[in-house]
Amino acid sequence: MADNEEAEPLAADIIEALRVVIDPELGENVVDLGLIYDVSIAQGGVAQIEMTTTTKGCPATAYLKEAVESAAWSVAGVHFAEVKLTYEPAWMPEMMNDSARQRLGLA
Amino acid sequence: MMMGAALSRWTMAYFAVALACLLGAQAMMVMGLGYPATAVEDPQTLILVHTVTIGWLSLLMCGALFQFVPVLVAQPLIGAGMVLPALVSLLAGLVSLLAGFLQLSGDLETGLPFLPVAGILLPLGFGLAVVVLGRTLLRGRPLPLPARFVAAGLVCLVATAAIGVLFALLLSGLDVLGAEVDWVGEVLPLHVTAGFGGWLTMTAIGVSYRLLPMFMLSPDKERITGKAVLWSSCSALALVLVVVPLERALGGPGIAWHAACLAMLVAVVFYGVDLVFFYRHRKRRNIELNSRSAIGAFAALYLSVALLVGLVATGTLGQNSAALIYLVAFGWLSGLGLSQLYKIVPFLTWLECYGPVMGRKPTPRVQDLVVEKRDMPWFALYFAGVLAGTIALLAGMPDLFRLAALATLCATVALVVEMVLVRRLFNVSVASRLPEGTSRPRLFLSSAR
Repeated sequence: MADNEEAEPLAADIIEALRVVIDPELGENVVDLGLIYDVSIAQGGVAQIEMTTTTKGCPATAYLKEAVESAAWSVAGVHFAEVKLTYEPAWMPEMMNDSARQRLGLA
Repeated sequence: MMMGAALSRWTMAYFAVALACLLGAQAMMVMGLGYPATAVEDPQTLILVHTVTIGWLSLLMCGALFQFVPVLVAQPLIGAGMVLPALVSLLAGLVSLLAGFLQLSGDLETGLPFLPVAGILLPLGFGLAVVVLGRTLLRGRPLPLPARFVAAGLVCLVATAAIGVLFALLLSGLDVLGAEVDWVGEVLPLHVTAGFGGWLTMTAIGVSYRLLPMFMLSPDKERITGKAVLWSSCSALALVLVVVPLERALGGPGIAWHAACLAMLVAVVFYGVDLVFFYRHRKRRNIELNSRSAIGAFAALYLSVALLVGLVATGTLGQNSAALIYLVAFGWLSGLGLSQLYKIVPFLTWLECYGPVMGRKPTPRVQDLVVEKRDMPWFALYFAGVLAGTIALLAGMPDLFRLAALATLCATVALVVEMVLVRRLFNVSVASRLPEGTSRPRLFLSSAR
């Protein structure tokens, strides 16, 4: 793991950059939707991102994974981005943050 | 590992042909061609019915399933190379079938054997579709509930097509089953039940079990009621298609028909319970137009069931079956189809155009491709037209029926125009329409990756 003092701001920058990636079905960005499970920084500026999609088998899956990879890679200080898809745990609407909930009019 | 698949390359072409057939069929009804202006068994009616069932509904369903079966089972489509040949076979088969009907009516005078050719091309096209979808489903075992409905629908498609071939041979002058078979009284109801009740309704229900929770963020855990719908509807179909004819042939007491009706009612009641559950327990309060307009289709399904029960109870099913079939085909199946196309076309267009640059450039949202407020009245007009048309058929008012068909035609034209505008990215502001690295989607053909 990279030095914590360097890693934390970089991870925050990556999360900010991932807001450009929109889930096409819900029309909200993947960060606010809670689709990004983990962002960590390994030695050498390698960003390791664990993410999911709202629906397993969604036709947008490959696009979303690639988009998260490119968005993370575009952050200064990231030399490589590894994105891992996981469905454990499966995504639930409760994982959204307040701003996504509000925009989608969630109960 | 890539889960499922990206874009189904030919789905948009299936949709385009399907919508053209829907518009053509509605125009025929407005012009007074086919039933109720002519008899049910008149070639003009056969042209109308098959333009709707094969041209519109079956092509729509095949195109949608090529895209969504991989989503249902999280497996890529197996044999995607057969999707285009299937479309070509189905289209050529449909044209041959309609030409064959024109020969029967004497409107087309050539010696070409159109009906036997249709009897080869249509089963070939449907066969290819069943092989592609069936193999993908087999790879995805154990099947989730929505996929099991689709599998049952595919079995019924095979049955429908097989009976259709028998009819094509009969109408070509080749009576394979012998003269003692009551084709109109016994075999035709099987063809209609397997097609509408089996192939089209089972797949529509299956897809709804996945799409409704997905679009409205409702709980999508498989519930016992969903399984009850599957098993009771499969039992009803098996009884009607297999046991009832056997019982009739062997001179049984007629219990199978009553059991089938009971099983169908159980399925319909539990499906209703699940629909209410999905809408009531949705997390997303402000649902999109596709989920709102689908309520019209579900209402049409329940009206159809009420009408069926009423007609059976009064012993008038025989003379009013056209009204019932119209409500099922245009209210329930076409209503659901148009509602979901309104979501699927923007979704696929968005993926095709903006998917490749996502993460690198800011992109519009799928919702930005449509203007829901402008389109809601068209769905209202459509369902009002279907309801008026059904009443006109029941009341024996052919002129009112043509007027009602005109209302549905106008609504459909408006919705088709909206879908063309979606493909053209017309509703997206010019500034964000085509970010660097994107290109405008072609109207009918997705640029698959």
